Amino acid sequence: MLNYILSSLVFLPLLGAVVILLIPSSQRHFYKSITLLFCAVELALCGWLYAHFSTANAAYQFLEKIDWITIPLGSLGTVSIDYLLGVDGISLPLVFLTGVVMLVGAVSSWHINKREKAYFALYLLLTSSVMGCFVALDFFLFFLFFEFMLLPMYFLIGLWGGPRREYASLKFFLYTLAGSVLILVVMIALYLSAVDPFESEATQTLVHTFDLRYLADGHNYLPDSILSPTGEIEIWGISSRMLAFWLLFIGFAIKLPIVPLHTWLPDAHVEAPTPVSVVLAGVLLKIGGYGLLRIAYPLFPDAANEYAFSLGVLGVLSIVYGGFNALAQNDLKKMVAYSSVSHMGFVLLGVASLTAEGVNGAVYQMVSHGILSALLFLVVGVLYDRTHNRLIDSYRGLVSPMPQLTVVVSVAFFASLGLPGFSGFVGELFTLMGGFQSDRLPHWLVAIGTLGIVLAAGYFLWTLQRLFFGPFWAKNANDAALLTDLTLREKMMLLPLVMLTLLLGLFPNLVFNLTNQAVTLWMKIFL
Amino acid sequence: MAHRWKCATEDLLFVKTPKLGHICQMYALLLIPFLAFVVIFAAGKRANAWAGWLAMAATLAGLVFSMGLYTEFDGQPTGETFTWLNIQNTAFNFTFQLDKLAFLMLFVVHLVALLVQVFSMNYMAHDAYRWRYFAFLQLFIFSMLGVVLAADLLLMYVFWELVGLSSYLLIGFWYAKPRAAWAAQKAFLLNRVGDAGFLMGILLLLANGQSTHFESLSIGLPLPSTAVGLLLFCGVVGKSAQWPLSTWLPDAMEGPTPVSALIHAATMVAAGIFLLARIHFLLTPQALLVVAGIGTITMLLGAYQAVFQNDIKKMLAYSTVSQLGLMVLAMGIGAREASLFHLLTHAFFKAGLFLSAGAIIHHLHTQDVRQMGGLRTKLPVVFVAYTTCAAALAGVPFFSGFLSKDSILLEATAWASARGGMAYVVPVLALLSAAITAFYVARQWRLIFLETFRGADMPQKLSIPSDWFTNIPLIVLAALSVFGWISVNPFDAADSWFFQLFPTLGHSVSHLLVVGASVLATFTGLVLGYQTAHRTFTPYLFEIKWLNEFSEQQPSAFLIPIFQKMARSLAYFDRWVLDVTVNGIGYVSVIGAHVLARFEHLLIDGSINALAWTVRQVGNRARNLQNGQIQSYFVVMLVGVILMIFWFLG
Repeated sequence: MLNYILSSLVFLPLLGAVVILLIPSSQRHFYKSITLLFCAVELALCGWLYAHFSTANAAYQFLEKIDWITIPLGSLGTVSIDYLLGVDGISLPLVFLTGVVMLVGAVSSWHINKREKAYFALYLLLTSSVMGCFVALDFFLFFLFFEFMLLPMYFLIGLWGGPRREYASLKFFLYTLAGSVLILVVMIALYLSAVDPFESEATQTLVHTFDLRYLADGHNYLPDSILSPTGEIEIWGISSRMLAFWLLFIGFAIKLPIVPLHTWLPDAHVEAPTPVSVVLAGVLLKIGGYGLLRIAYPLFPDAANEYAFSLGVLGVLSIVYGGFNALAQNDLKKMVAYSSVSHMGFVLLGVASLTAEGVNGAVYQMVSHGILSALLFLVVGVLYDRTHNRLIDSYRGLVSPMPQLTVVVSVAFFASLGLPGFSGFVGELFTLMGGFQSDRLPHWLVAIGTLGIVLAAGYFLWTLQRLFFGPFWAKNANDAALLTDLTLREKMMLLPLVMLTLLLGLFPNLVFNLTNQAVTLWMKIFL
Repeated sequence: MAHRWKCATEDLLFVKTPKLGHICQMYALLLIPFLAFVVIFAAGKRANAWAGWLAMAATLAGLVFSMGLYTEFDGQPTGETFTWLNIQNTAFNFTFQLDKLAFLMLFVVHLVALLVQVFSMNYMAHDAYRWRYFAFLQLFIFSMLGVVLAADLLLMYVFWELVGLSSYLLIGFWYAKPRAAWAAQKAFLLNRVGDAGFLMGILLLLANGQSTHFESLSIGLPLPSTAVGLLLFCGVVGKSAQWPLSTWLPDAMEGPTPVSALIHAATMVAAGIFLLARIHFLLTPQALLVVAGIGTITMLLGAYQAVFQNDIKKMLAYSTVSQLGLMVLAMGIGAREASLFHLLTHAFFKAGLFLSAGAIIHHLHTQDVRQMGGLRTKLPVVFVAYTTCAAALAGVPFFSGFLSKDSILLEATAWASARGGMAYVVPVLALLSAAITAFYVARQWRLIFLETFRGADMPQKLSIPSDWFTNIPLIVLAALSVFGWISVNPFDAADSWFFQLFPTLGHSVSHLLVVGASVLATFTGLVLGYQTAHRTFTPYLFEIKWLNEFSEQQPSAFLIPIFQKMARSLAYFDRWVLDVTVNGIGYVSVIGAHVLARFEHLLIDGSINALAWTVRQVGNRARNLQNGQIQSYFVVMLVGVILMIFWFLG
């Protein structure tokens, strides 16, 4: 099985989903334990992967390749789609993050008591497709996983969500789908333009490929094809490659999300049940960043170089715009959602800088934000589970009834606002450092981005002050009795995340050792 | 004067390799308070009985350790470097180092912290959360020592932020008071504004390919630009409460009074001065001029505002702002050593003043000086301590403050005479500020201690002579406010041990003239202040209104309003412009889909493209929001993908 470690990672949760579907509903109390078990094994596999990953090696590791679909089309060449999996230093941290967040999400799903069978089967299905996204190296395969993610997400929000769940899930679905269509268009154009050099030589025909390793090499593009790096093809007066880059970028930017394509996010978060919010913010947004790093940038380095400034502007816009919006929210979950927008802006800024610091920092920031946003949505969930009211102005002085929660929230908030010692600081530090070091971005732009750390302090501390400090008061008198402190289960899901953000903050090399070589190789295409 | 180290390579090789014992002791300095924090915090309520004792023992150990290290110190900085992380081939190293400046601060921080904790034993004895209090104090000491020992800017920034955190936790210690929670937040936020600039400065240094290590910076000339220097100075403006970020300090008085003594008078706010001393050589002449300007404004505004305060702590807070302004001004005119000298004396006399104020508040339960009076006989120890420290603050001869203020004035005069003309504004304004300082000190002193008690109810037992936890710190701090331990000559500190440790260049200004002017200003201020003590002045405060709005009835006004307004309008934009646009696109698509559906039969079979599929599905979805359809859509989508591939190929 360990020879097929990546396949195991992808299909193990799927197996779990099948197991759950086979167990009759009369035994529904097993669903949660089964989900937990599969997620725990999944994390263990991630741990094994981490332990056996060679940090000195920049190339893809644990490769698995099976010829999947091959259709000869005569003179037009051959369609070749591979089942191709592999990880490198950029995807491995995110794979590990997925393992952690999915396990924590499974623990926080404990209070689901409506249609458990469907819920947990979908949850495991989601785990499979997210894992698939991070390990697929064939664009077609990636796209399948990318699309497949929508299905469980749509139902998880639409069936188990809040009052406006149908609106939110549809909005989420359509938004992401619109992005997918753009990605699809580029995928097809890429397919027409690039060939597998080795297969083509062996068979003396044009073997078209979706293999991302080949797509990232300009030599594999047919000279007069639509996306040829040497060609001068223009569509509506724009170079076809630039257009393709922007289409890919928009597709992934919706997921990331980048202002102004973010409006699905607050709605989706507000309506989603806690575990789904945790997974959405913790992992799903990272697929957008990962898509930029794995697909949009390596395939179109010329465009990424040319538009670095515009991309940096979008990153900084997200940081500042998200920060101000977070400041204005009264719904705790919306506040956290907009803080996600702001924090993911740092990812784009780091990537746009095209410096070692910035790109390593961006991967680190994704991992850090994955942990911290999971933590933040969990603590919101703790409050919501008790009173079903998340409005900040409904409470004051929560520290008296809930001192332990206050400590955890304070840690989560300070970690998120970039207090040194926690992971948030390192992510922001290095994405900003990359920004300042980049000769593609002007200093004033990054300076505006730095103001994001002031805004973060503003919205987190203000929330802390309004919710937890002062004399105790609750808008609904009944709530006072409901506001009990953390339970053992809640501590079990919160504490590991707190430890993890502290661990990564103190020893950032745990991530940078993984990313360094891969990013160095990644950077070479931009030189 | 700084030791220039020779660096063999880009990597930092210390000329002097520290002894292993030194390294262990240096780390022990950081580890002791950190462990004390962890132990007390983990023990929680159970620690109430012993938290104070453990904290005092920890700080005493730190004091003994640092003194022990000093006896083996030979003037050469020693340090220890470790690698924090690697990015590509760049290693980010952190260095802790011991040098003269660090030893000076180690002495001040440990001593004041120890005295403050002794004082707190009684002051906080009845607080149910005193475990948290002592834990946070230890966290503060840990962070502050980190700032002191850090040998590079990035490491210093790490501890700098932790200092901000402990300040936040201690200002908001009585979090049930909305005002305390608000003040804590305001302090952190305004500090963050400064720190953002500080961080930008550090990042720009790194971006220019320079090290952030102080010693390699001092070798790596040329100087960074004025802008970088000023960005680094932003950190000082925040932490040392300089104009325009100064307003958090008076509000920080919501914290327990011993905290105000330690953090918001003696040590944390001095961290900015310490940073300036560290990066002094990086600042261009233009940058120094700005520093001096900011310092002058802060010094005058602080002194002016202190005049109108009737709250004993608020007056001391504004006085601190003013004195910090004086130190920054001194840094700006190049009087680095004199500024540090004032930092030293100020730390003790201001801590003494705050602890005296704390003792008074503890007994009277009021902070309003108009409700006091006649305490001279009721609280004799406090009276003596307060008088001594106040004399030092006012700059009365024979007290420590006189010596340090005199050194700064002397340097300022020398600086002005070298430039001539308008430059004389600086020493004149410093003299004016000294006179105002004497004015409010005399006023407050008379109102608190002389005449008869004006409060409503005089507590029965005011003097508790056996309360040594309160008395000893006051006596020690009062003793440290007298000239003798610094310099034998009460009028000139030039031969003192301090200036032998931190030598300065000589200057050619008439010392007698400066001393005369200084004494004249002080006594004028004292006499006027004493005479007009009972007169009420109409205060016109140069406060930035939107920074100071606070209303207990209106929780929405807890944040700085200008931020709030900006946030509200952007949120409005998000909700009513962006989101409405998105929904609008959705509706238009639905209508378009209906139109398309009418003409569908006219469309040629093969021309179905991705856009039409999507648009039509949008229409379908919007017509019927039932969940079941999504699966069929998904299948259609996949089929569509495959079909399109073949279509493209065909």
